[in-house]
Amino acid sequence: MCNGLKGLTRSFAVVVLAAGVAIASTPPLQAEENMWPTLKTEAFGDRPIQEEDGMVVLETPQKVEDAALVPLTVRVPPHVKGKLKSLSLFIDNNPDPKVATLTYGPAAGTGGERSFSTRVRVDNFSHARAVLELEDGSLHMATKFLAAAGGCAAMQAKDPEADVAGMGKTIVRTFTPALKSSPIWSGQVMVKHPNHNGMQLDINTAKFIPALYVKEMTVTRDGELVFKLDGTFSISTNPNFRFTFGKGEKNDLDVVIVDTDGTEFTGQTQASGS
Amino acid sequence: MPKTEETKQAACECGAYPLSRRNLFGAALALAAAPLLRYDPAQAASVDPSEVAPGIFVHQGRYEVQSPDNRGDIANASFVVGSDGVAVIDTSGSAKMGAELREAIRAVTDKPIKYVINTHMHPDHVLGNAAFSQDEPEFVGHYKLARALGTRKESYLAANEQMLGPEAFEGSEIILPTRLIKEPTTLDLGDRELLLEPQATAHTDNDLIVTDTKTDTLFLGDLLFSVHVPTIDGSIKGWLALLDEIGKRNAARVVPGHGPKTMELPQALVPEQRYLTAIADDVRRQIAEGKTLSEATKTAGFSEKDAWKLFGQYHVRNVTAAFAELEWD
Repeated sequence: MCNGLKGLTRSFAVVVLAAGVAIASTPPLQAEENMWPTLKTEAFGDRPIQEEDGMVVLETPQKVEDAALVPLTVRVPPHVKGKLKSLSLFIDNNPDPKVATLTYGPAAGTGGERSFSTRVRVDNFSHARAVLELEDGSLHMATKFLAAAGGCAAMQAKDPEADVAGMGKTIVRTFTPALKSSPIWSGQVMVKHPNHNGMQLDINTAKFIPALYVKEMTVTRDGELVFKLDGTFSISTNPNFRFTFGKGEKNDLDVVIVDTDGTEFTGQTQASGS
Repeated sequence: MPKTEETKQAACECGAYPLSRRNLFGAALALAAAPLLRYDPAQAASVDPSEVAPGIFVHQGRYEVQSPDNRGDIANASFVVGSDGVAVIDTSGSAKMGAELREAIRAVTDKPIKYVINTHMHPDHVLGNAAFSQDEPEFVGHYKLARALGTRKESYLAANEQMLGPEAFEGSEIILPTRLIKEPTTLDLGDRELLLEPQATAHTDNDLIVTDTKTDTLFLGDLLFSVHVPTIDGSIKGWLALLDEIGKRNAARVVPGHGPKTMELPQALVPEQRYLTAIADDVRRQIAEGKTLSEATKTAGFSEKDAWKLFGQYHVRNVTAAFAELEWD
């Protein structure tokens, strides 16, 4: 392993407690340990989960090149009908294994391929998981193994000043589908935010930079909820999301983002179809 | 979990320099095309500096990633001998390599080693610092070098211990600079001076250009790669802008961080400018087309594939860094 995992875990626990995030129920990190049974029970109790049944597909890079910036894409194939209830992403061996949970709303759309993409930090060899909850309450999971290490502590901001300078800048886009009548459109939100994980030592103060990350993001289309996302610092610096939504009248997206300091950032798409 | 070669290799991609060895074919092509390459396996991992100008000595690192075999000897390391003392410019990638560099200095002069200058934070340029502690020099770097090394210390050491193995790694440590350069600064070596110029974010956020004014020699550190594919750990826009500026300078010679011992301006910069421009152009176009980061990593800049050694090691990471930067324009 690259990291002294035990040291990492200790220092990390301090930071996490300081940030008021409860991970007390998470046992100490061990790369070889199977974390999933515990995570599963915490998140879903004893509900059955169908694995690799084709209802949800998880795409990860074949080789992780930058463990601080690993693209993940979740696809729900068109043969999956009806509304989606929620989508949860996990990276088992990350300090906070929960990456994000999306709770879908009425504007999430039906009738085509639905998808969600973001970029994550990967601290260690780990399984990545996408658990999709359908309208009937059934759970479906896709799993991929990630051979990456050092995403959380090792990779620092390339240019810390530049990252802070534009903080809060939020860009919201929609991508007009080839067929404008298509029931599923796609959009993107990117927000300039360090998403500090609280695991980076500031040499000047000899203290860890406090965790500060995007906690909540609400996306609405023409005033109706597409999804609400609850995030953690497993999402990379400058959080970036691609997602689908159901075609509406104007297809204007509004986004409200709240970080762990309670600071709110907002963004809107410009004219529809842009 | 099975420890396959793949996972073992991926284990150490947390430093600036990942571990796996790939694309040796492309590398071999680049090797064949490199006119100044003088790699002699018989001299493996021994410091053999040549005097490229009066009092200027350069040791050339190998075009490889760190391994037990090369002991971190993968970057160029130089020293400048003045009437009052010696300045070392980069110390190679392990304490053992640093110690050999020190021996090579002692074979040339017994003048005191007054300064150990690091051109930037990467381990293959700084881990040899430890071998010079006994000389009690000033350790000199860009004013952001201390923070950069401080935040990366643990991961750099862990990654390099893994890559070098315990024997080659032994004694290596991160030594923070004792003198930080925020404005252009002159260091006095008696009959010659070194001009130190801190740069805005380019290859990293702590690049320092060192000029020996007496011989008009420019030490560019990793602002200049030759043969070895460039690695972006700062800002592709900043780097391209700085290369334009460097291209306007006149110098008798430049010393790259990776490449032959000396090169000439401005042609030394051309392949690197071409490489970075290819990435920037492709990535900008793909962003405009609404393409994703993963899509970009499969195609952007691949026209450069056969022009560089270690392309397979670093290229996708470079595209990733460029994409994450350029998507905010």
